[in-house]
Amino acid sequence: MVNAFWYFVMVPMVYISVIWCLVGIVVRIAQVVREPRPPHTLRIFRDDETPEDPLGAGLGAAFLDALTMPSIRRYQPVFWVFLMIFHVSLLVLVVAHLDILPQINILSAESQHMLGNGSVGVFFTVSLAYFLLRRFKGPVREVSVASDYLLLVLLLSIAITGDVISWGNSWTEQGFVITKQEFGQYMTGLLTLSFADPLKLLPGTHYVVIGTHVLLVNLLLIFLPFSNLMHTCFSVPLNALRRG
Amino acid sequence: MEASKRQDLLTLMADKMNRAVRLYLENCSRCGTCIDACHAYASTRDIRFSAVGRAQNVRRLFENYFRVTGKIAPWLNDAETLDEAWMDKLYETAFSCTGCRRCMVYCPFGIDTQQIQAIAKALLIGMDMDPKPLTMRARGEIDKAKNLELTRQKLEKELTGVKAELLEKYPSLEGKEIVPLDKEGANILFVSMVEKPSIASGAAILNAAGESWSLSYFEAVNFGAFAGNANMSEQIYGRIVAEAERLRVKELVICECGTAYRIMKHIIGKRSFRVISILELVNRYLTEGRIKLDKSSIEGTVTYHDPCQIARNSGVYEAPRNVIRAFTDSFVEMIPNRSENWCCGGGGGLVIAQEPEFRMMTSRVKADQIRAAGADILATACEMCLAQLKDLNDEFELETDVKLVSDLVYEALVFS
Ligand code: SF4
Ligand code: SF4
Repeated sequence: MVNAFWYFVMVPMVYISVIWCLVGIVVRIAQVVREPRPPHTLRIFRDDETPEDPLGAGLGAAFLDALTMPSIRRYQPVFWVFLMIFHVSLLVLVVAHLDILPQINILSAESQHMLGNGSVGVFFTVSLAYFLLRRFKGPVREVSVASDYLLLVLLLSIAITGDVISWGNSWTEQGFVITKQEFGQYMTGLLTLSFADPLKLLPGTHYVVIGTHVLLVNLLLIFLPFSNLMHTCFSVPLNALRRG
Repeated sequence: MEASKRQDLLTLMADKMNRAVRLYLENCSRCGTCIDACHAYASTRDIRFSAVGRAQNVRRLFENYFRVTGKIAPWLNDAETLDEAWMDKLYETAFSCTGCRRCMVYCPFGIDTQQIQAIAKALLIGMDMDPKPLTMRARGEIDKAKNLELTRQKLEKELTGVKAELLEKYPSLEGKEIVPLDKEGANILFVSMVEKPSIASGAAILNAAGESWSLSYFEAVNFGAFAGNANMSEQIYGRIVAEAERLRVKELVICECGTAYRIMKHIIGKRSFRVISILELVNRYLTEGRIKLDKSSIEGTVTYHDPCQIARNSGVYEAPRNVIRAFTDSFVEMIPNRSENWCCGGGGGLVIAQEPEFRMMTSRVKADQIRAAGADILATACEMCLAQLKDLNDEFELETDVKLVSDLVYEALVFS
């Protein structure tokens, strides 16, 4: 029964969550696109004296705004540092997870570690902890709603279980309990729709931690289209509106 | 609230939806970066008067009636029911927002609080809760176009005083058409406030430059826009557009009225004429050597308040500064300035719709900023800002002389 539960989480539920998430994102984007265009410009006019990048209007500038968040850098520099740590480590973590696949070899195929040797996850976790703490004090607390906390707790749980997999997995007398190559087989199985039982590929007590990590990621994927993580898709068009 | 009334209001809300508004409503991460941007919050530390605090009032309705999460788990994003009590909340935050869009400069996504508050204002109109002093004035503006003969008679009465003042100041104007009306094919249609001071300074400048111009029958200010009534706003600016098109003018010159300028410049769409502000025109005349200003006539240091609708929301930053530097060598900047300048706290029609006590309470940061500049003269380029800044000057004993830039130009004008 327990094994069946973890099998469901680690195989069918992954497919369900990914499809749900993709469809949800498409629906959310469609909801925006089918609305009429705004009737006039919503531009904020920059001036020559206040710092700005030289790109002016257009999508390139909006993309840069979305990526580097210059207004937060100017008005909330500490928050900006953590935001940059968060976003950069998130990007590296996505690449690091892809690197687990045997077909992708950013690190050598024999490497036991993920990209960053587990350090990236720590940066990711610390930045999330900062975001969560920030929501408990000052005026930000007054404007936060349940979903803001829920999302951060979910992300933080994913980060912590990820850290446990990265670090705890290697802190045994025998070295790595589950190797990167074994993770690679599990992910290949998912990609090739083999429906193989991951328990056979990922042996040992760490299986439950990995299962929990995957379960939380599944939940995040299900929640994502309804959450303000959708700003990933909308930040560029929003900034383009301001750029005019 | 009756179900049918609620449904009517929700239809109004749906009508306000467009791509931008939906993005604004759906993408706030409540990061709080905009909180310190609002003069009202910075002056009171009351979260209701922060940009995100105000927007949440609308967003929570949107959550309840337009999003699936609001239906499944209303607690997730604090979905709220539309009822009388909530309408009171909407009033409180919509008509304490000046629509200055300073918060938009701070927000990482550039969320436009003014657009969100436009929804609140539409709902308030639907409930007949719009501020009547604004709506009544808007109605008066529309009526002017319906009875043009009466409007002309009243305007000519006002012009008698203007002409007398200009003739006394500049005797060389004797025998000339000092304030032309209905001049077809003129280069410029000048839209004033249809009050003596506003007409006189504009007329003096235009005459000094030897311009071919005509005075509009209508005042620039748009009370329909302040009330959030898109229909009335359209009728009000429509009067001026029709007049400019009828007279086939090349340029429409707007007096110092921030909202009127932004509407004419950026909202009415492409027309047969160009739109510029009076200070852009003065700057042009100075560059071309068509007018001259006497630097000795303005005494003391001068600072400049960038009106939000002219600067941040329309991009006119340097022309007023160039003009000021043409009549004084003692110009000092306020800090912050340009796109980051603090709103005066009276925009969005608040000078009329809000009690002075409230306006003073929510504009303490503006008073501090003016005091720090320490200038003898505080110049601005918007009549609404002028009224609010004068109130601030009195209330906070700032001991500065608050004036419009065009009035200072009028004082310094060398008329040949
Ligand atoms: S800065 Fe923008 S995203 Fe952040 S709370 Fe304000 S409106 Fe929302
Ligand atoms: S538009 Fe201006 S007044 Fe309104 S919330 Fe933003 S900063 Fe405050």
